[in-house]
Order: sequence, then structure tokens, then C-alpha cells
Amino acid sequence: MIYLDNAATSFPKPSEVYGEMDEFFRERAANPGRAGYRLSTEAEKGIEMTRKALAGLFGASEPQRLVFTLNATDAINMAIKGLLNPGDHVITTTLEHNAVTRPLNSLERQGVITVTRVRPSPQGFLDPGDIKRAITHKTRLVALVHASNVLGTVQPIGDVGRLARERDLLFLVDAAQSAGLWPVNVEEQCIDLLAFTGHKSLFGPPGTGGLYVGGRVELRPWREGGTGVDSQNPVQPEDMPFRLEGGTPNFVGLAGLKAGVEFVSRTGTDKIRRHGQALTSQLLHALGDDTRFTLYGPPPEAEVGGGPATSPILSLNIRGMEPQVVGTILDESFGIAVRSGLHCAPGTHKEIGSFPQGTVRISPGFFNTGDDIAQVALALKEIASSTAVSSRQ
Amino acid sequence: MKTERYLRQILFHPIGKEGQRRLAESSAVVVGCGAIGSTTASLLVRSGIGYLRVIDRDVLEESNLQRQELFDEEDLREGLPKALAAEKRLRRINSAIRVEGIAADLNPTNAETLLRDAQVILDGTDNFETRLLLNDYALKTGTPWIYSACLGSQALLMDILPGKTLCLRCLVDSVPLPGSLPTCETAGILAPAAKLIASIQTTEALKILTNHPEALISGLVNIDLWKGSFQKVDTQTAPSPTCPACQKGEYEFLNAKGFSLTTTLCGSNAVQITPGGNAENGAKIDLVALSLRLQSALGVDNISQSPYLLKFRLKGREMVIFPDGRALLFGTQDTSLARTLYSQYVGL
Ligand SMILES: Cc1ncc(COP(=O)(O)O)c(C=O)c1O
Ligand SMILES: [Zn+2]
Repeated sequence: MIYLDNAATSFPKPSEVYGEMDEFFRERAANPGRAGYRLSTEAEKGIEMTRKALAGLFGASEPQRLVFTLNATDAINMAIKGLLNPGDHVITTTLEHNAVTRPLNSLERQGVITVTRVRPSPQGFLDPGDIKRAITHKTRLVALVHASNVLGTVQPIGDVGRLARERDLLFLVDAAQSAGLWPVNVEEQCIDLLAFTGHKSLFGPPGTGGLYVGGRVELRPWREGGTGVDSQNPVQPEDMPFRLEGGTPNFVGLAGLKAGVEFVSRTGTDKIRRHGQALTSQLLHALGDDTRFTLYGPPPEAEVGGGPATSPILSLNIRGMEPQVVGTILDESFGIAVRSGLHCAPGTHKEIGSFPQGTVRISPGFFNTGDDIAQVALALKEIASSTAVSSRQ
Repeated sequence: MKTERYLRQILFHPIGKEGQRRLAESSAVVVGCGAIGSTTASLLVRSGIGYLRVIDRDVLEESNLQRQELFDEEDLREGLPKALAAEKRLRRINSAIRVEGIAADLNPTNAETLLRDAQVILDGTDNFETRLLLNDYALKTGTPWIYSACLGSQALLMDILPGKTLCLRCLVDSVPLPGSLPTCETAGILAPAAKLIASIQTTEALKILTNHPEALISGLVNIDLWKGSFQKVDTQTAPSPTCPACQKGEYEFLNAKGFSLTTTLCGSNAVQITPGGNAENGAKIDLVALSLRLQSALGVDNISQSPYLLKFRLKGREMVIFPDGRALLFGTQDTSLARTLYSQYVGL
């Protein structure tokens, strides 16, 4: 089987991740809640090491402000619902994943907030100027996806961050697709809230993720409960990370995430990203001038800051075929796993003209090879030549 | 209990007053209200059973009227789900009976709720996987069930008594590959054959509910009304020692492992059907043979093929079947409709 759905979740993981989780779960997985005995202290230490590793990766000088969540969705909900107040205005984009769109839409429908949705260029890039023009005196938050999970296009978060900072707005970045692939630095890029998930390019297991909460932000905790510290306090403690981390954490998953983050740091985000980009551009070139395909997103030569401006994600369609049919044939007859549909980002498909059927999304990962891509290109061409003919013949 | 109404049945000696009293306190579930299920339901309600539940996921269609005796043209105009139309009709037949029609697709998630409290389960389904689900539930709860099936002029029936007889799974090593067998939609069905087997099914149910196990038919009844052949095949009566269901207690259909999965697709107005079990074994459907079977039912112009798939248009929708049995039904988000059309035209 050739797995090309790494934008959904990376697979396989580096072997250290499996090894670390197995070892941790068997040998050291006592409840970290400050029991004082050695095993518990080790579990606690494991979590703090993961926290430090991630804070390091994201350039956050206060690791305790990085809280663990179930995934990016959980982190984004924690940020949006813990921050916004009646009357607030939010600027977001039409490129967002439902993890951002839906919480904002529901607050908007309840009449709590107002939302402006900025549109990207036809190639899928945002103009920070459009965000600037959308600012009103009620604007509190700019919520922006770093890398689109449909097009792979990467947005200029540093520019938007500095703009937000100048205008005293808070800035939320959905780094679900970019963490581990692109440099993210909360201080340089003026990010107040950084949401990420563990199971994609950080190579951790599902059920891990986090939210970095910058010093300018105070979130209302919605998940209140045991913290193992300050237990006499009748309400959730003020101290981070306890303020936002009630309940027993997924410390086995976090041990795996630490191994994943260490793999990323050791290998280097640039190397990981370039490997994937080389594979997507190989695919783009293989299909590029075949008119039976519609390829979405920018051409391979589009660049930002001296490199390709997209994550290793390619969305396409074969003219006249439903993406789900193409996806099933790839799986069924060629043993190639890709994803078809809207990828939880309907707004993006409306922008690129692939709504409602969606696209076939091919997302290579660090463990894919040029041979995998050659095979998927060949398979796609064969499928494109196989239009169904009437049974009358 | 009104004796007058059931007098002729009470006069039938093996039932008698005592049998009638037992019947009035008993409950049965009919799964699938088609040709067999609707006759069985009607006979049971007339016989004076205490409680009858009828489960069916479909909406009535004109082609049902040829054989499904609970329904008429007025029901068709109302466009009710068959389970609800059946409930109305059954109450008119016998208002003293507690009748409950449930418009639902029986699946591993709801089976234990929808089949609960049945003293006997009557098979009126049109597909093998639902039967294997009934089989699992029956074994798990010790509930007798009566397998029956009809295709063309042929009809089959077998009483399955957990702990006493073999079970349906004893007879099949693996579940038939989807798309490998003819269905009523592709091969037709003769109404009298269905009614005949429903009559036998009801009689078997009456024996169970009035406590006459000695009178039950053992083995497989196999009738072909057109050929005029009436057989009782004395299959092995003992369970197969390797049967996963009745010998090992592995209820693969009730626990969802072997059951098909039906999901609405993100984006398109479409449902994906993934049949259970077989795909893992690498088994492939013969799409050419399936296409030939579908041609007489749907017309050749509604079918097209490529090396990777078979497509057919059906009631304003399009179904695409892949060689491993997976299918996409475009034009709906209704998962239970997708299962219906799949089991009718491809076969589950
Ligand atoms: C851009 C983007 N945001 C958010 C998410 C949500 O991530 P998770 O499902 O891990 O919460 C995803 C992943 O599907 C994504 O691609
Ligand atoms: Zn058995």
C-alpha cells in the first residue's frame, strides 16, 4: 500500500515514536498528578519535557504557557470560546478548516460576535492588506490558517502577526498543517494563540495537540477540574498551564509526541518540508500538461522567501469523474491511499470552484519516495483513460 | 380474550384454548415487510398474537404491490414508510393486537434494541448479512428465529433454535460475495411462492409460541412452485463444530466486524457502502456477470463499465460498484436507502 494522505495524519511514524510510547506505557506510565513517588515524578517529567521540546520548536520563551489539548480542534475551541466576548469582531478567511469556521460561525449565529471573512487570491494566497482593511474598532481577533489543508498554500503569518500587534489585535494561528513542516516562531511572528495538532507533521499519535497562549492573552478555562496542585483552591488555579489543563493528560501520547518532535528537530523542518515539496512538484510536473486533469493551487514555481510557497499537498480532479470514484479506484485497484472530498474546508473549495464534490488530495510525507509518486502519476493517467463506456458495446 | 373471533383456530386441536391463551401473551418481531414479511405479519395478527413488531427501512413502491399483501394503491399515494403503512393496516385487521411498526434499517447498532423481547424472530429480509445479524442476536439471546427466503418460484425455510438446531452460520463458511447472487430485483419473484413460504413460517411461529416444539419441521424446506418440487432437505441437524457463531460465540455481525459499513461522503451528495468481510480476503466481484444480470432489470442504456467499475442509473441516482464490492451511490445522503438499493441490485 502506498500511503499519500499525510495531511490527514502522518503515517507511518518514525520508529522512535512507537518505541517511546511502548516503553513509556509499560515502564513509566503512572499518573503524573504530583503523587510524589518516583514513577509519578517521571511521568510528570515526561510531560514537561514534551512541553519544553515544543516550546523550543515554536520559539516560545515561557513553556508553561503551552497547554496540551486533544488536537488542534480542541485547542482552537479553547482559544475562541475562552477569549471572545459579546460584541467582538473577528477577521478570518475563507480558507479555514471547519475547526476554525464552525466555532466562529456558531458564535456569530448566536449573535455573540461578528465575523469578516477575507478571501484569498485565485491561487490561494492572502493579502495582509485585505486583513488590514477589514479591521474595525470592534475587532479583537484575527484567526488565520497557516497552511491550507486543501491547497497547501502558506500564508504570510509574520506580516499578519506584526499588523495585528500594531493594531493591538490578538492573533490566532491554526498551525495544524504547518507545525513541524514550516518555521513557526510565536515571538518573531507575533502569534498570541498558536493551535497545533500532534498527529500530523509532528509525527505524534492522535489525541495529542496543544495551544500556546501568549502573555497578552487570558483565556477563560472551560475544562475545569483536578490539576494535582493548588487543590485547596475552590476554582481553577490562575497559574499556567494548570489554568487550562484540568484532568489526567494523555501522557502516553505526549511521550510519543516528544519522540516525534525530537525527530523533527533532529531532521530539521526544512529538510522534511523540501522532501515533501520535491515529491509534490514531481507529481505536478508529471500531470501538469495533461489536460484531463484539473490541478488546484499555485504552479510549482510560486515562491515565498526563496522557496516553494506550498506544503506538500496537491489537490486535483480528473475531468468528468467524481473525486470519490477516483479515490476508490486508487485504493481498490492500485493500493494507493489518498483522500477525496472537501477535507473539512468547504470554503476553500468554493474559492477554487470544486464545491461541492471536492477534490482528490494527494499529500506525500517524509517517508514517501519518488517511486511512490511515479506510481500514483501512472495510476491517475490510467484512470483518466478509463472512462466508463456503455455496456451496449 | 375474545374466543369467538378465534373459534376456528381454537377448534384446531393442537392449539386449543390453552394455545390461544399462550398466543395472546406472546410477542414476535417481523424483520423486513416485503412479500414474506407482510403475509407473515398479517397471518400472525389475525391469529391473535399479543404483540407484533414490524421493522422495515423502505418506502412503499409501486412494484411492491404485486406481492406485498399489506399494501394497496392508497398507501402508495400516501408515500409512507412500509413499516408505518403496515402498522396502520395491521391495526385495522385486528385492533386488539399491540402492533408497532418501526421504520428503521436494522444494523449492529440498533439490533439489540429493536429485537428485544421477541419470543420469535421472523425473517422477511432480502439479504444475507441482515440474516446473519438476526442469527447472532438469536444465538446471543437464545431466541428462536425462522429463516426464510424467496427468489423466482423457489422458496426456502429453516427453523433455527439456539442450542437445539444448527444455526445459519453453520451452513455458510463465508458470507456470499456481494454481487454474486441473483436478487428479486434482477431475477424476479413469484408472489405465490413468497406467500406459501410465509404461511409455513407463520405455522412454525405458531408452534413455537403455543409450545409445540415436537411439531416443528427439522431441516431445510426447499420448494419450487413452478417446477412443482417440494423437498425437505435433512441437513446435518447438529451444529457444525467449527461454526464461529453458535460454537465459538463470535458474533461477527452483531459486533459490527462482519457487517457492511454505510457512510455519507464528505462533500458529494453520496453514500459509500463497504460490504463487510470479503474485501479483506481479496475476493472480487465479477462485474461482467453483474452487469448482465442488471441489464434485464434496468435496461442496457443505464449501465456502463470500465475496467475499474460498473455504473448504473437507478431511480434518478447513480450507483458505482468497484470490484471489491465497495459502492458509491450518488444523489442521496440517505444511508438506509443506499443499503436498500445495494442489497436489491447488487446483493449483500
Ligand atoms: C488546517 C487544519 N486545521 C485544523 C485541523 C484539525 O486537526 P485535528 O483534527 O487534529 O483537530 C486540520 C486537520 O484536519 C487541518 O488540516
Ligand atoms: Zn452455527
